Amino acid sequence: MSDRLQRAILTLNRLEQPGGGTDGTDIIAAPDSRCLLVLTLIYLVLMLSVPLADIERVLLFSVYPIVESALVGIKYTRLLKRSLWVLPLVALVGVFNPILDTRTVFTVYGFTVTAGWVSLISLIVRGLLAMQAVLILIYVIGFYEVAVAIRRLGCPAVMSTQILLVYRYLSVLLQQVLTMRRAVDARGYGRRHMSLKLWGIFIGQLLIRSLERAENVSRAMHARGFTDRLPLSRYRCWTTTDSVLLGSWTVVFIVIYLVPLGTYLSKVL
Amino acid sequence: MHMADALVSPQVGIAAAVVAAGCLGVAARKVKNDRRSENAVALMGVLGAFVFAAQMINFTIPGTGSSGHIVGGVLLAAILGPWAALITLTSVILIQCLVFADGGLMALGCNILNMAVTSCLIAYPLVFKPIMRGGRKSTARLSVAAIAACVVGLECGALLVVGETELSGVTALPADKFLLFMLPIHLVIGLAEGVATAAVLRCVADYKPGLVFHTAAEDGAVKPSGHKLRNVVIAFAVAAVVLGGTFSWIASTNPDGLEWSIGKVAGAAEPVASGLSAAASDFQADTAPVADYGSTFSGIIGIAVVLILLWAVSTLLRRRRVHLSKAQSPVKEEGHHK
Repeated sequence: MSDRLQRAILTLNRLEQPGGGTDGTDIIAAPDSRCLLVLTLIYLVLMLSVPLADIERVLLFSVYPIVESALVGIKYTRLLKRSLWVLPLVALVGVFNPILDTRTVFTVYGFTVTAGWVSLISLIVRGLLAMQAVLILIYVIGFYEVAVAIRRLGCPAVMSTQILLVYRYLSVLLQQVLTMRRAVDARGYGRRHMSLKLWGIFIGQLLIRSLERAENVSRAMHARGFTDRLPLSRYRCWTTTDSVLLGSWTVVFIVIYLVPLGTYLSKVL
Repeated sequence: MHMADALVSPQVGIAAAVVAAGCLGVAARKVKNDRRSENAVALMGVLGAFVFAAQMINFTIPGTGSSGHIVGGVLLAAILGPWAALITLTSVILIQCLVFADGGLMALGCNILNMAVTSCLIAYPLVFKPIMRGGRKSTARLSVAAIAACVVGLECGALLVVGETELSGVTALPADKFLLFMLPIHLVIGLAEGVATAAVLRCVADYKPGLVFHTAAEDGAVKPSGHKLRNVVIAFAVAAVVLGGTFSWIASTNPDGLEWSIGKVAGAAEPVASGLSAAASDFQADTAPVADYGSTFSGIIGIAVVLILLWAVSTLLRRRRVHLSKAQSPVKEEGHHK
């Protein structure tokens, strides 16, 4: 439990700054947050629009995470490992496809591959690729810049302020939970699990402390002239490089989506 | 209940995002216009962080050996009011998606509908509040209201998950069987969530009874009126129309991707080979490592080769960068020491 909390705190700290998820071996500079957010959304829309049976085209969309991760300085195997977390959920939904859809698609060395298996594998690949695209977004620009991008793209101020506030207090409250949890463990004589009653008191106490903290925070914010809108302290401007990056990747995605590259490759081989 | 991107088609994801954005727009306007609580913004921020932190602490479910945690929609709605709770829970879902990779970005609208809208705009006003409104305000009543609201909220969420998954066409499981699979599981989860929410609310009621023993009208968080219910009904009618429209569009333009692909693989309109071409085909059929293969499989092999090459080139480039940066770093350090 404490490990999980510590991991969450470490993740938050690492993603605090732009480029916090990269290892400093980037070939191109981190783009404008709006550019990368829009690029990720375009990628997701086009990649997820490919029919499940068209596994060749889904696989071709792997080009983006592989190349972009190298460009921005993220080890692809790290992305791959992190994206594996999505597997259980996707597999749970798709696990019935091989059982229910038994139409033959092709045969390999005498093994019949059915449409159900193709759709399951396609579903898993789509899940991994979508997760990798989102990971690139957050590793490169950090959460603060994503919130800034959301506001600069026209999101209501109350919403973006809320996102930033929740994010700001997350590490503070996680630290508080960690301290309280250690206190409970220290007095538990080796007890590993919390009963519902103890859990209720624990979370209730946390809630009351949070409310008291919220009142103090609110007073402090209003004393400093807060007007329901957090000022944006830093953000990059849109440059020509951002336009080139967005334009070139969009062209690549459209080509993959429209041109049957898999068929051409099969002819070449 | 967090849906991954792979489980929703863009049409369903965008339609859900539009409906969720509509609800959030109304919520933002309501919260902005409500000036009665000057602490509202900070309270929402800290409570959002609280829900996130509370989800990290599990309790043991008696008799099962498994554990559970709070989701927090009904709890937030009970303290903040439904509109502020909707915004707060949406922030939590967004952070879970982006920072902790829990739920997809394209599926964000679906996740907001399934978890935040169902608990804050359906379960709270239609179940929790009516139970809390009448009679003596006791902790027993609070527990019943919390459990009933959590069960209703989670069952509605499960219903939406099934609908969204089926509309997206990612599972071969029929909707009725999928529902039979999802609803009982979420009934159990809802009961556990309800008991947990009740436990927290009872604890808060002991320390700060004013926070939970109120109707929303008393604290001004929301005004219970025909307008609110009407807005909810309109929002869901719009959702139904948008999703229904999306479904009919999918049905008309792309009836079955699998059938389309199988038709393509079967090659009904493929020209018949003759002469040298036929001889070459026969030779290929005899000698090919993968007999009876279609363009799909060879295409996959081709793509795999290209992707491996890309990966190799990218890794080489990266290693070169790492090598260069390592070669440069001692010089920097020496310079720094001097």
